[in-house]
Amino acid sequence: MSQSRGRRCFSGVVDSSAAPVHAVPFVSVRPSRAPVVATSTGFERLFVAEYARVTAIAARVLADQAAAEDVAQEVFLDLHRRFGNDPGAQAPAWLHAAAVHRALNAIRSRRRRGAREERFATGVSQSDDPQAAVEVAETRRAIRAALARVPARDATVLALRYSGLSYAETATALGIGVNGVGTRLRRAEARLRKEVGDASL
Amino acid sequence: MHLSDGTLRRSLDEPVAIDARSRGHLESCDRCRRRLAGITADATSAGAMFASNRPDVDIDAARLRLGAAEASAVALTAPGRNIRHAPAPRRPLGTWGGRAMAGIACAAGASVLLVVSGGAQDFLSLFQPSKFAAVPVTATDVRSLAGLTGYGTVTGGSTPLRITPEANAAAAAALAGIPAPEISAPAGVDGAPRYAVVNGTDVSFTFLERLARAAAARSGGQLPALPAGLDGSTLTVSINPAMVISYGLDVSSLYNGGGTLPSSGAAVVVVASRTPTVSSTGVTVGTLENYLLSVPGIPTGVAAEIRAIRDPEQTVPIPIPIDVASASTVSINGASGLLIGDSTGIGSVVLWQHNGVVYVVAGTVNAADALGIARSVR
Repeated sequence: MSQSRGRRCFSGVVDSSAAPVHAVPFVSVRPSRAPVVATSTGFERLFVAEYARVTAIAARVLADQAAAEDVAQEVFLDLHRRFGNDPGAQAPAWLHAAAVHRALNAIRSRRRRGAREERFATGVSQSDDPQAAVEVAETRRAIRAALARVPARDATVLALRYSGLSYAETATALGIGVNGVGTRLRRAEARLRKEVGDASL
Repeated sequence: MHLSDGTLRRSLDEPVAIDARSRGHLESCDRCRRRLAGITADATSAGAMFASNRPDVDIDAARLRLGAAEASAVALTAPGRNIRHAPAPRRPLGTWGGRAMAGIACAAGASVLLVVSGGAQDFLSLFQPSKFAAVPVTATDVRSLAGLTGYGTVTGGSTPLRITPEANAAAAAALAGIPAPEISAPAGVDGAPRYAVVNGTDVSFTFLERLARAAAARSGGQLPALPAGLDGSTLTVSINPAMVISYGLDVSSLYNGGGTLPSSGAAVVVVASRTPTVSSTGVTVGTLENYLLSVPGIPTGVAAEIRAIRDPEQTVPIPIPIDVASASTVSINGASGLLIGDSTGIGSVVLWQHNGVVYVVAGTVNAADALGIARSVR
């Protein structure tokens, strides 16, 4: 995720000189497992409404739930720091774009360091079926490797679309017209299949 | 002209967004069908890859973690590194109010569209739609459709619409003549539900040859030969009283000029009404439908979409402005419904019919939440 993305979506102003950090309202949430009652700020409502989807987007890229939830936490924190308790109507699209960019950065930087599988491989080791665990791990490795190799534009549209966003939502997150989503998605799927190869699927 | 890759790809995921002309081309074009087969294979492969990564999140645990993380961040943030909060350019709530009301208006729109879709074959027959179908339209189409009023006169009936607050669900349901629906309160909205009733009214369209000829001339075309008895024919859509349940806003105050839209937070409106009925004088509804679909001015694509439904007695076409919204067919407790979302993913509308009652859920919620609310209605 980049600040320029945030500025584009929100027309916000990043100023390093002043202004308080907004205390996130969840600090005061009681430590119980009971459903949290009525939310009171736009940020809280946004978190409840979008956390699962933001996590899903990151999971499409990272193929690991814990890592995806880390990314989701980071982008929500970033959003709150930038825009406070009332982030506005474009916030979901900002979160979707931020999640996919941050997740892609994670796998690409890890790839550059040559240690990309070290952390993510732990996510499937508890399966009861060793063979199934190996296959799942291999599929996840193939996804991450392919997404790290294809152009970021292709990886982005794949992650957004396959996390369940509609074409209109994907278009908004990408900042393109809805008619362009199908074209971009078709191109990305073709590249992905070429990268992974049918044998891996 | 052959279909683009993007159109072919979208046809797999959102077929209702593909216009009838494109669908017709695809059915008859071997080349496009071969391309679609290749696109489908790539999409299937990608889908299989991503299918195994669906997280199951614990939202409460996530909230606690976020709170703790933010507390640490506040403690560690040094002066001079803070970010000035520049309020986001928020969509004016009035605009959303318009969109929400537009969603509600889909129900009314459904009724209005009965003018060109009704299936009653005899005078004073009743139309009982049970399904909704998306008809993709563009902004240009909408302007053209608005021109249809030039072919006759539209009257709002003798009773203006009123929205009257009611104390509870039972009172509102009784006035609407429907069983009181039970609904799970939507998450993320403030306050208790408010109840109101919208009175019923009639909307009539009378086809007038002299106006139609003038309108056709303005469109640069000629009026097709009129079927016998068409001039002066009137269709009347009788809209029944509706029960309105609102969360996060007060619909009756808003409509009556008091009250304000919420400055933040989700707002959800549920409308339930007995299915509207249609009666006709002069010619049958089917005759008028066929004629209106052939007159100059109505976009050929829209006419083809409405004809393509081929189920005018059961299905109400709902215009979907595909530039700003998307639609998909959904199942609501066994009934076929329509899910409509705007381009930001913030607003959603679900409409369906069950046991002679038309339901509409509209609000500033995402599609999953809107569907959850709809499916909770009993």
